[in-house]
Amino acid sequence: MKIILLLLIIAFSFNAFTQESTISGYLTDASSGEVLIGAKVYIPSIKKGTITNNYGFYSLTIPSGVYTVEFRFSGQIEKQKLDLTKDVRFDYEFGQDVQQLEEVVVNAHAEENIKSTKIGQIDLKIAEIKAIPAFMGEVDIIKAIQFLPGVSSAAEGGQGFYVRGGGPDQNLVLLDEATVYNASHLFGFFSVFNSDAVKSVNLIKGGMPANFGGRMSSVLEVNMNEGNKKRFGVKGGLGAISSRLTVEGPLKKDKGSFIVSGRRTYIDLLMKAAIPEDSPFSGTSYFFYDLNLKLNYKLSDKDKIFLSSYYGKDLFSFGNKEDDFDVKMPWGNGIVALRWNHLFSDKLFMNITGTFTDYTFSFISSQDQFSFTMKSGIQDWGGKVDFTYFANPRNKIKYGVQYTHHIFTPISVSAESGETVFDTGVAQKIKSHETAFYVADEIDVTDEFKVNAGLRYSMFHHVGPFTRYIPGAVGQQETIIQYEKGDLIKFYHGLEPRISMRYALKNKASIKASYAYNYQYVHLTSLSAVSLPTDIWYPTTDKVKPQRGWQASIGYFMNFLENKLESSVEFYYKDMRNLIEFKEGVLPGDNVNDNTDNLLTFGKGWSYGSEFFLKKKTGKLTGWVGYTWSKTERLFETLNDGNPFPAKYDRRHDLSIVANYDLNKRWSFGVAFIYATGNTLTLPTSWYVQGQDLLYEYGQRNSTRMAPYHRLDISATLKGKEFKEEKDPDTGELIQVKKKLKSSWVFSVYNVYNRANPYFLYVDNDGDFLSGDFKISVKQVTLFPIIPSVTWNFEF
Amino acid sequence: MMKNIVYIGFMLFAFLFSCTKEVKIDIPGHKEKLVIDGQIETGLPPIVLLSLSRNIYAPTDVNAFLNSFVQGAVVTVSDGNTTVQLDEFCSDNLSPAELDQLASILGIEPALLSTVSICGYTTTNPAVFGAVGKSYTLTVNYQGETYTSTTEIVAPTPLNSIWWKADAPLTHHGFVWANLSDPVNQYDAYQWESRIISIDTLTGAPKDAFFKKTRGPVFDDEFFDGLTFDFFYDNPSGYGESVPDSIRGRYVYGDTVVIKFSKMDAKVYEYLEKKYTQLATGGNPFATPTNIPTNIEGGALGLWAGFSPVYDTVICVP
Repeated sequence: MKIILLLLIIAFSFNAFTQESTISGYLTDASSGEVLIGAKVYIPSIKKGTITNNYGFYSLTIPSGVYTVEFRFSGQIEKQKLDLTKDVRFDYEFGQDVQQLEEVVVNAHAEENIKSTKIGQIDLKIAEIKAIPAFMGEVDIIKAIQFLPGVSSAAEGGQGFYVRGGGPDQNLVLLDEATVYNASHLFGFFSVFNSDAVKSVNLIKGGMPANFGGRMSSVLEVNMNEGNKKRFGVKGGLGAISSRLTVEGPLKKDKGSFIVSGRRTYIDLLMKAAIPEDSPFSGTSYFFYDLNLKLNYKLSDKDKIFLSSYYGKDLFSFGNKEDDFDVKMPWGNGIVALRWNHLFSDKLFMNITGTFTDYTFSFISSQDQFSFTMKSGIQDWGGKVDFTYFANPRNKIKYGVQYTHHIFTPISVSAESGETVFDTGVAQKIKSHETAFYVADEIDVTDEFKVNAGLRYSMFHHVGPFTRYIPGAVGQQETIIQYEKGDLIKFYHGLEPRISMRYALKNKASIKASYAYNYQYVHLTSLSAVSLPTDIWYPTTDKVKPQRGWQASIGYFMNFLENKLESSVEFYYKDMRNLIEFKEGVLPGDNVNDNTDNLLTFGKGWSYGSEFFLKKKTGKLTGWVGYTWSKTERLFETLNDGNPFPAKYDRRHDLSIVANYDLNKRWSFGVAFIYATGNTLTLPTSWYVQGQDLLYEYGQRNSTRMAPYHRLDISATLKGKEFKEEKDPDTGELIQVKKKLKSSWVFSVYNVYNRANPYFLYVDNDGDFLSGDFKISVKQVTLFPIIPSVTWNFEF
Repeated sequence: MMKNIVYIGFMLFAFLFSCTKEVKIDIPGHKEKLVIDGQIETGLPPIVLLSLSRNIYAPTDVNAFLNSFVQGAVVTVSDGNTTVQLDEFCSDNLSPAELDQLASILGIEPALLSTVSICGYTTTNPAVFGAVGKSYTLTVNYQGETYTSTTEIVAPTPLNSIWWKADAPLTHHGFVWANLSDPVNQYDAYQWESRIISIDTLTGAPKDAFFKKTRGPVFDDEFFDGLTFDFFYDNPSGYGESVPDSIRGRYVYGDTVVIKFSKMDAKVYEYLEKKYTQLATGGNPFATPTNIPTNIEGGALGLWAGFSPVYDTVICVP
C-alpha cells in the first residue's frame, strides 16, 4: 500500500507547477457514427497521448498551448490544429481527411504493445478475425482466440476455451459488460457471437486489471456494434449450414442508432431431407438461432444511453417411433445490458450498467407412460458503477462498485409414471449476493517506468432459502436442514491485489511483469470427458469455498523492422485453490434429492509455461505465429490416490500459425495451422469377468494421452467489383459509379489434408469369449474430415 | 432415465459427425488383481468364482478366458455362528441343479458349461445355505493375501401382480408389466430377471436355459419410497440379430415367462448400479469413467452378493 501511495504522490505531482488544459471528447467513425474503441489521440510535439475507452471517450490533460493533435485508428491518421490554452471538448468524426500514413502509424500506434503496461492482453480487430479461415464459413470469435498463445480449445467439438491452465469456468466472458455463461452453440462448434454484430474483442489472460473480477484465468470482452448513425444499411451472408442478416440505421441522425442481427442454422432441414419419413429416427433434428439487438442514444453532450441484448437458443430433438421414445434438449442464453455514460467533467467519466443474464438447459423425455424432465440454469441480476478519472497524461484512475444477485438452479427434476408422481425432491435454487469494490491507478512514474496498480475487495453472501442435505451412510436416511428466505448461510470475502508494470528499454523493447490475485465465486462441474451444456454451474455455498489463486507473469516485448513485426516472450505461473471435481463414480442422477455439492471433492491446481508470439500487422502479408510450452496439473486428496495428475487439457506444446495475404483489391487468401499435444484421458487398464459381464478397471486419472492434434485450414476471398460503368446522363460518357451492393465470396477448406484428429478414445469389445471371436480394442472417434464450404456475404 | 442425457448426447455426435477407427496407444498402469464373484441366495449354497484381472491388451481367446479362473485358494463362508470352508468344484463335474445355478451366474448354457472346466468354490453343508435376515461373511485366502466381505439376505418384497401387455400398435409382441408396493421408510433395492420357459419347438428345450437380465436390471426406491406403481421390463432374449427392429425386446404372445424378483442390500446395489452404468456408458465420452466400488476388502475386485428372490409366472396373453 505504501508503494501505491508513493506512486500516487509522484503522479499527482506532475501537474503541480504548470498551467494545464484538458482536451476531451468522443471519437466516432465519420461514415457510420460508430464510436471508435482503442483509437489514439496523440500530440507529437510533447509526445503525449491517450487511448479512447470502450465508449470512444478520451481525455488528455497537457500544458496549455496550441498544438497539432493527431487522431489515429486502424492504420490511418488525421490531424487537427487546436487551441488548447483552455479546456476543450472536441468530439471528432474520424475518416473525414484520411491520410494513409502507414509509416507514421507503424512508428506510433504499433508501439502500443511495448509502451503499455498490458501483459498477457491481446486486442483482436474483427477484420483480423474475419481473415482467419472459418469452419463451414461461419466466422467464430472463440475459435479465433484459440489461435493465440496460451489459449486452447478443449478439443474439436468441445465447449469453451482454456487459458493458461485454467478451466473453462475461469474465463469471464462479457458481451457489452453482461456475463455470458455458455458462449457456445452446438457443443462448441460455434460461438454465440455473431461476427456481424461485433465491434471489438479484447482478451486478458494475465495481469487482470482490478475493474475485472469473479474469474481466475481470463477476461474475454466482446463489444457489440452500435449501428450506423448516418444511414440505414443491411448486411448478411448465406452459408452452407447457416445464414445471417443484420439491419442497422439511425434512430435519429447523429443522435442515436440501432442494430439488429440474427443467425439461424438449417442443419434440421438438411437432416429432415436426409432421414426418410418412415425411419424410426425421423424426429431427430438440431438447430440454433440467435439474435442481437442494440440501441443507443445521445441524450446530451454529457449523457449517452445504450441498450444491448442477446437471445439465443439451441434445440436438439431425438425421436424413436418404434420405442415410442422422444427427447427434447433446449438450451440457451438471454442477456440484457442497459448502460448510461455520464461526463461529470472533462476529466471524470462515469458508466452505470444494469445487466440481466439468463442461462437455461432442459432435458425433456418420454417413453410410453413415463415422462422425465430435468432443468438447470442461472439467473444473474447485476449492477455496477464505474468511474474513470483522467488526472493527467501520466495518471488515470479507475474506481467503482459492482454487485450481482445470482440465482442458480443446479438441477430440478420431475418424473411421472402414469398417475404416479415420483419423489424427486424440491427444485434446488441457490441464491447469493456477490459484491466488489475496486480502485486502479495507471501511472507513468517515469518515461521508462509505468505501473498499473489496483486493489479489489470482493464479498459473497450465500443466503436462504436453501435446503441442506447431510448424507447418511449408504442406504441410510440423510439429515435435512431448512434455511428460510434471507437467512445468511455463509459469508466469504477477500482482498485481490493486482499490479502490472512496464519498463521501457532502448531499441523499441520493454520488459513487463504482472501479479494478480483473484477470487472466483462460481464453479463449473462436469461429469464428462468433454465439455457439454449438461455441465452444471454451481455457486460457492456453505460447503463449496470460493476458488482463489494468483498468477504472476513476466515478459519481454520487442518490435522489429521499423515496427512491422511485433514479438513477445512471456513466462507465467498460476496457482489455483479450492477447485472442484465430481467424486469418482458419480452418476448424472445422483444429485436428485440431494445437494450437488455433496457429490463434489475439492483440490488445487497449478500451471506454468512460456509463450512466444510474433505478429506482422501491416503489409500485404499479415498474421502471426504463436507457440506455447506449458504444464498443468491438479491435486485432489480423494482422486487418483491423492497423487497429482495432468489436467485433461494439459498440453505440452501448442503451435499456431495464421497468415493472410492480400493479392490485390479483390483477392485475398488466408491460411491457419494448428498443432497441439494430444489431450489426456482416463482409459481402462485391465479387464475382468464378473457375473455374465466383462468389466473394466480404470487406471490413473488422465494417464493416457491421445495423438497430437493438427490441422490446416485455407480460405480465399473474392470481393465483388466496387464500381460499375454508367453513362453520364449529361455528357453521355462512361463513368465509374460506386455500387450500392458490396459482396464477397469466401471459399474455405477446413482440415485440408484430412487429418483424423482424435475427439475421444474408448475401449470397445466385440464378439463372444466361448466362440473364439472376442476382441478388445481401442477405438478413436474423429469428428471432422476435410470440409469445403462457400459463403456469400453482402452489404448495402 | 437420467442416464439418457449422456446417451442422447452420444447419439447426436454419432449420428451427425463421427467416424471411428482402431488405434494402438500406450495405456499405462495395469496391476493384476484377484477378482471375486460370489453370491448366495435364499435356500441355496454359496458359489464363489475366483479369477485374475488381465491387461487391457491381453489375449481374449477361449483359453485366456478359461485360464483366468484360479484355484488353490482357501474360501470360507460364515453366518456369524457357523464357518464352513467351501470345496473346489469344476463345471464338468457338477449335478444338473448346480450346473443350472452356475449357468445363471456365468450366463453360459449348461450344456456348454459341462464341456469346459471352469472351477470355483461351493459347499453341500446346509449350515451356510442362504436364509432371509442373515448376514454372511466371505473370506478368501489366496497367495498369502486375505480378502473379506459381508452381505445380507434382506427380506423380500413380492410383486403385487404381473401381466403382459401388447405394445400398441403391435398385437402379438409386448412387455411384462408389474405392480409393486414399496415398503415405506426403509431402503429397498431390487433386481429383475426373467426366463422364458416355453418350449422351443426347434430344440425341444425351454427357450431360455437360465434367468437373464436386461439393461438396467437393478433399481432402488430413492424416488418412490412407500409408493405403489406400475412398471415394465423388456425381454432380454429379444435382442438377437435375427429379431426384426420392430419387435426387438418384446415378449411374444403365448410365451410363459418366469420373473425372478430379488432384493439386495445397499452395497450390493451400489456395485450393480455402477456395473450396469459402466456397461451402458463404456466408451461414451459424455460419461465419467466408472470404476465399480467393490464390497470386498483387501484389494480384490468383484462382488459378494446376497439375494432374496421371489418368483412369479406370467403367460403372455392379454
